[in-house]
Amino acid sequence: MKHLISLISGAILVAGTSLLPAHAESLQMGVSVDQVPVSSSFDGAEIVIFGSIETNEQADLYRGEYDVVIRVEGAPEDVVIRKKERIGGIWINNQSQKYEAVPSFYSILSARPLDEIAKSDALEPVSLGIQNLGKAEPDIDQKTLVLKPGQFSDALRRLRVEQELFAETPGTLTQLSPSLFRARLSLPANVPIGEHKVTAYLFKDGQILNTNESSFKIEKIGFERWIYNLAHDQGLLHGIMAVLVAIFTGWAANAIFRKN
Amino acid sequence: MQGSVRYYGDLPVLLGSISLLEDAVSIYLPIAEMSVNMFILFGMGASVGFLSGMFGVGGGFLMTPLLIFYNIPPAVAVATEANQIVASSFSGALAHFRKGTVDIKLGVMLLIGGLIGSTLGVYIFSSLRSAGQLDLIISILYVVFLGAIGTLMTIESLNAIRKSKQDDVPVKRRSGHDSWIHKLPLKVRFRKSKLYLSVIPVLAIGMLVGVLAAIMGVGGGFIMVPAMIYLLRVPTNVVIGTSLFQIIFVTGYTTIIQSATNQTVDIVLAFILMVGGVIGAQFGAAAGHKLKGEQLRALLGLLVLGVCIRLGYDLVVTPDELFNVIGSMDQGGH
Repeated sequence: MKHLISLISGAILVAGTSLLPAHAESLQMGVSVDQVPVSSSFDGAEIVIFGSIETNEQADLYRGEYDVVIRVEGAPEDVVIRKKERIGGIWINNQSQKYEAVPSFYSILSARPLDEIAKSDALEPVSLGIQNLGKAEPDIDQKTLVLKPGQFSDALRRLRVEQELFAETPGTLTQLSPSLFRARLSLPANVPIGEHKVTAYLFKDGQILNTNESSFKIEKIGFERWIYNLAHDQGLLHGIMAVLVAIFTGWAANAIFRKN
Repeated sequence: MQGSVRYYGDLPVLLGSISLLEDAVSIYLPIAEMSVNMFILFGMGASVGFLSGMFGVGGGFLMTPLLIFYNIPPAVAVATEANQIVASSFSGALAHFRKGTVDIKLGVMLLIGGLIGSTLGVYIFSSLRSAGQLDLIISILYVVFLGAIGTLMTIESLNAIRKSKQDDVPVKRRSGHDSWIHKLPLKVRFRKSKLYLSVIPVLAIGMLVGVLAAIMGVGGGFIMVPAMIYLLRVPTNVVIGTSLFQIIFVTGYTTIIQSATNQTVDIVLAFILMVGGVIGAQFGAAAGHKLKGEQLRALLGLLVLGVCIRLGYDLVVTPDELFNVIGSMDQGGH
């Protein structure tokens, strides 16, 4: 019995020490802004994510054996894909497919193409890469995106890429020094409002060694925020206001042009 | 903002002249959630306003398709256009109020029908939207109505042009004081219009216009005016004022209900269009006085047919993209 305990504690010790080198590599990361304001002149934005690789293996670091991949995800939403079919001569939305927990925005920033960094069996479990999205094991506790291969999941990926809401852009991440990196994230004008999660993955030899998380918010400000909140929380009041504005405009035009 | 992939990329010819301003000021629409060029929208408002001033029509049936061509989600285009029409019809109705060419009693009857119709229309709008068929139904309704009205206008005005070239024209007597409309029960006296008429056709016309206001984003003058003249035999001097009276309240009500139910009224978009619209209408009205009525109507008829063909073409041609995606955070068409 005593032997067994010492054996187990020994095993724990061994496991503990063997875990240490893995965790000796870590990532530090920051986002240039906490909040991206969306005002009336918003036409997209660019933000910078920067950080450093921290490791004891200085030789590997200087040989450039580490890769950083950053994933930016908007709040999950439910999505319906519809397919048009010709019925009686006109094209009508017919079949449809619903997906739960699709990221409303999804962007992968890396120095090299993902397939050069790791194989899909390392990327799929963490949903890293547009093609690997929705292939992780479903989580029982919360809604998980499951994308079975097929025309609807292909269409989802293709359309979201066309709309610039999904992007995978190698070359957006630059190593400033062997340990320091900087990534540029461009946000399109139609970027969804809300909290965006930033996750950085540290890779070596195609394996994930460590991760780090951060976030930023995209928020409507000023007049846009006020109007949006009013329209969504108090639609009736917003509608009445819209009508009053219209009546005033109609009256003003009439008054101005009658004088002329 | 995703519902209408098939409309990508082409602005109507009408806007060709102002597309030079494309690099200019962009503005973010809080409800449509997209960045648009303010000058193009203003120009669209002014162009349609010009046409509506020139031809004496509301312009909603031109504005809504234009907004859809410009990739504004159809749901937002329709609801926002109702809001714009409040401004243009109010501006127009003021003149009629001053001249006293409004039959308030008839207007109120049309309005009661209109409010019922609009309520029904917003309900239909919501259900079509959740079934994913809203964009299709909007397009089909436009093709049908624009096709019918464009054809009638073109034929009628071409006939008028031909007749005006002949010296004396045999005037066809308007038959039909004995028409079925006038045999219906529940008759009411409308003093201003000098009519003794059943309320049933009045309510029915008002209701149809209300449904169209909610689903198509139009004032409905293009239906109501001919219906009042030819079916109800309302004297032409009170027709426009009375229909504008009804349109103000029905589109105003539709705006409020759409905003409360579907959150699709974009007040910023509406305001840009309104300002462009009321200014354009003043110049259009001035230009309209210099042109002959029949030629004007023929032009408008052809324009209406053009928009109809464009929308119809999109329905039948094989789309580049068969799929469309709507997320719960999008505004477009769900």
